[in-house]
Amino acid sequence: MTDPSPARILHLSSTAVGPDVLRITVRGELDVDSAAEFQDAVTEHLAARSGLRALRVDCGGLVLCDSMGLSALLMVHRRTTALGVSLHLEERPPALDRLLAVTGTLDHLTAPPAAAASTPPSS
Amino acid sequence: MTTSSAPPAPLTAGDQVPFYTSRLWEAVRAGDEYAAGTGVRDALTDGVPPETLLLDVIGGVQRRVGAEWAANRLSVAQEHAATAINERVIALLAQHPDVPPVPPARGRITVACVDGEWHALPARLLAEVLRLRGWRVDYLGAQVPAPHLIAHLHLTNPDLVALSSSLVTRLPAAHATITACQATGVPVLVGGAAFGSDGRHARQLGADAWAPDARQAAERLRRPLTRRKADHQAIDDLPHLADQEYTLAARGSRQLVREVLAGLESRFPTLLDYDDVQRDHTAQDVAHLVEFLTAALYTDDTELFSGFLVWTADVLRARAVPPESLLPALDLLERALRDFPRAVGLITRSRQALSRALRASGPPAARQLDPGQPA
Amino acid sequence: MVNSAERSADNAWSDAALHAAPYPVLVADPVGTVRRANEAFGLLVPDAVEGSALCEVLPDWLLLAHDRLSAAPAPHAPPPRGEVAGRSFEAHATRLPEGEVVWWLTDDTDVRLAERRLLQERNRTAFLARASNELLSSLNLDRCMEVAGRLAAAHLADAAVVIAPPRGRALSVVSADGTGAHSRQLTGVAPESVPGLAEALRGFPPVPSRWIDPAAAPEWLVPEDFGPVGAMVVTPLPGHGVPAGALVLLRRAHHAAFSESEESFARLFAARAGAAMSAARLYAEQAQITETLMRELLPPRVGQVGGVEFAARYRAAKDGERVGGDFYDIHPAAAPQDESLVVLGDVCGKGLDAAVLTGKIRNTLHALLPLSGDHVRMLRLLNGALLSSHHTRFATLVMASARRRADRVELRVTCAGHPAPLVVRADGRVAEVETHGNLVGVLPEIDAVTAPLILAPGESLVLFTDGITESKGGPLGDELFGDARLRRALAHCAGMPAEAVAEHVQMLATEWVGVNKHDDMAVVTVTAPRGSSRRAPGGTPTEGHGA
Repeated sequence: MTDPSPARILHLSSTAVGPDVLRITVRGELDVDSAAEFQDAVTEHLAARSGLRALRVDCGGLVLCDSMGLSALLMVHRRTTALGVSLHLEERPPALDRLLAVTGTLDHLTAPPAAAASTPPSS
Repeated sequence: MTTSSAPPAPLTAGDQVPFYTSRLWEAVRAGDEYAAGTGVRDALTDGVPPETLLLDVIGGVQRRVGAEWAANRLSVAQEHAATAINERVIALLAQHPDVPPVPPARGRITVACVDGEWHALPARLLAEVLRLRGWRVDYLGAQVPAPHLIAHLHLTNPDLVALSSSLVTRLPAAHATITACQATGVPVLVGGAAFGSDGRHARQLGADAWAPDARQAAERLRRPLTRRKADHQAIDDLPHLADQEYTLAARGSRQLVREVLAGLESRFPTLLDYDDVQRDHTAQDVAHLVEFLTAALYTDDTELFSGFLVWTADVLRARAVPPESLLPALDLLERALRDFPRAVGLITRSRQALSRALRASGPPAARQLDPGQPA
Repeated sequence: MVNSAERSADNAWSDAALHAAPYPVLVADPVGTVRRANEAFGLLVPDAVEGSALCEVLPDWLLLAHDRLSAAPAPHAPPPRGEVAGRSFEAHATRLPEGEVVWWLTDDTDVRLAERRLLQERNRTAFLARASNELLSSLNLDRCMEVAGRLAAAHLADAAVVIAPPRGRALSVVSADGTGAHSRQLTGVAPESVPGLAEALRGFPPVPSRWIDPAAAPEWLVPEDFGPVGAMVVTPLPGHGVPAGALVLLRRAHHAAFSESEESFARLFAARAGAAMSAARLYAEQAQITETLMRELLPPRVGQVGGVEFAARYRAAKDGERVGGDFYDIHPAAAPQDESLVVLGDVCGKGLDAAVLTGKIRNTLHALLPLSGDHVRMLRLLNGALLSSHHTRFATLVMASARRRADRVELRVTCAGHPAPLVVRADGRVAEVETHGNLVGVLPEIDAVTAPLILAPGESLVLFTDGITESKGGPLGDELFGDARLRRALAHCAGMPAEAVAEHVQMLATEWVGVNKHDDMAVVTVTAPRGSSRRAPGGTPTEGHGA
């Protein structure tokens, strides 16, 4: 049951889509073991590109996101907001949407930066 | 506080137990915790000794709960409800002013259930009886993970551990727990249906003592238990494990379940039309079959597996399912394990025992089925 | 027959051979007297002159061997051995044609000594291995001290006393002699009353026993009926860098004193006993700290409060670790007409960080109890208290306020980013409670919706964490337990006591995961008791806490 299958290991890759837009593709599991890695990697990218306007995280290959994974996404959102970078969580799998909906973080994480402060969750 | 209404006519000592047992049974069956508590308080007032009340009245009701469940007259959920009420009644008894606390003068005992064991009541009853007999008891409850138990032993240094297990499928876990306790120098007394009606699995797994019930366990503890040598190894008890059949079958048990299920579906295409609940049930039944087979491989005990098959046939019959449906699953299991001679022998002998039992009981009985809704 | 000339020539040769032989040699004639003995033999037994009776000059063991040889020769028997003049010899016999027997003695004193030493070494090594096994099998300090005392008394001395470093006023002491070991807590005795003991307890090297006056052993140190002490050794029990105690060995007056080799062996034993005792002590200290922590963090036992039944079950993710990310609390109503508050939550992450956040949440909510009439306000204050710029750790939780009204239970239920609880109706219907809200601890502002709910007798509200629904396993090994299975299971729980519902859910989920890894699993049930409403809530038979 706990075989480390390659599909479950977190894999990150990044491409510059334009001069001020970066896309990070996430594959595998974003969980208690890999959340810190994800957070650090994104923080480095943000630090390395000062003129960034948008960060697009492609979640299509995300097979699992647990509470620590969500915590990392929230931290990334906090960082991008502070830098005035807009965060876009794209290609969200249904399980991730469900997690964001239940925890009441969907609007916070997906609303445009100005309105991101607080919104009651949509039921 | 007690508003005890004494029984209508004075009862002789011999009548007391059946009277209060049936009164408690009615209360438990009706889910009436209050009536259950009142009945037990009345029994105390009536002079029923606390130990009799625990072992014969409450214990008797609990045995009946198990029998009713096996006969499909109680659901698992109702069994839980009945047990919860009995647990409360025991707690009530322990705090009752007519049951004065006995000063612990005999030593310290840890009472626990093996991990995965949910039937805590027999262990609870033993704990209470030992308390009444002057032991200092630490009762750890149902499904105690072995690391918790061992940590507890290191902290409290008891004179012995009393370990309860009713499910033979938990015997490998029980063995590991027994060995771990003994490795800390604490002797182990075991009890419960898992160890066999003659205690054969208790001896086989190297327990220091075995008792068929709580009363005899308490009697046995009048004599001291001696500790086994600390260098005892689990494998010494079960030399047949050297053939690795148990290890491989246990490790591949999920795969075995899948293979048998797939085989059943190709033989009986109607299974494919089952809904989620029915599919869950079938998978659960096959999983049980595999679990009991692996336990039989662990203990090298054909009777463990054949006994399960015969018992399952009875349960199926009670649920109006033809017990013959077990045979194809056995065939598929045997084919999946064809490279394991000990497993194949075990299945072959058990199938013979099942066939004999099926012949003896004749065509599927038209037994009255009671859906068992509580009042 | 041999003639006398030949005989004397023969004698002359054998005389020469006899005297040149590098061994003591004796020739015995068939009638039991000494025929001849060489000089080397004469040095050992001066009386063994020609003609003397064997029975008067030979040591017993050699005489016995000689008689045996004449009676029943056993050519393959091992040579007899014994002592002559304080040394050890092996005797080899040669039978001459006329019935004479030549005894050659070979001195094996050094061989014997070496053999004895080897055997002793082997025994000691075996003993140390056995002792280590026995000492290390328990992490209980009392048991370790008892084992150490018992082993030392059986193998090293007539009696042994194991003394733990003093704690407060009491000195923890185990005394053992051949009959058994017993432990005592002694107050009012000073380690200084035993020569070398105070030093040993501080870990100083042992004082050689010949410098210790055994008569100085105080009464508390010597087992009852032991008699006068003839010799005493005081050895420190070295722990892992800290002294673990001291070992005192006692011998009775008429027994030999401790040799240097015995004392050094005792130190080898002491090293093992000290390591075991120190491990047990560290373990006990650690366990005590954990116990104290857990008493704070572990969920409370629950029961019936004000006519409302509460029950809970919790199983931590890792079996070795009972404090996980899930938590629950039940704050009982002060008066029967008031509301009790139950909170079930799930903190993200595991281990100490999670435990610290859990503690903070539980304490904050406890402080905010007076505001529990407004769940949303309570949650907003909690959220504000948890916000931190350093991390985005959060918690999801669900809270329910409950009070009895006639035979019903009235509830207000609020979810903060948590899976919505389920309600089990008397007819077996299972429905989700309509409440939702944001998680707490990360977002600057949060909101939530509180749902009112009424439970009829036998109906239950079931709060759970996602460890239950997201547990993976089942007969096929990799299926989610899921919402649908939980709802199906709950459909059978109508009319059941709160305890039974909680137990049932927990059992199903635990059996579902089997041996798989799983997250923390927690379930809390709130139930309106079945049975008559005529009974005053306070008079129910199960008031208060369970076992």
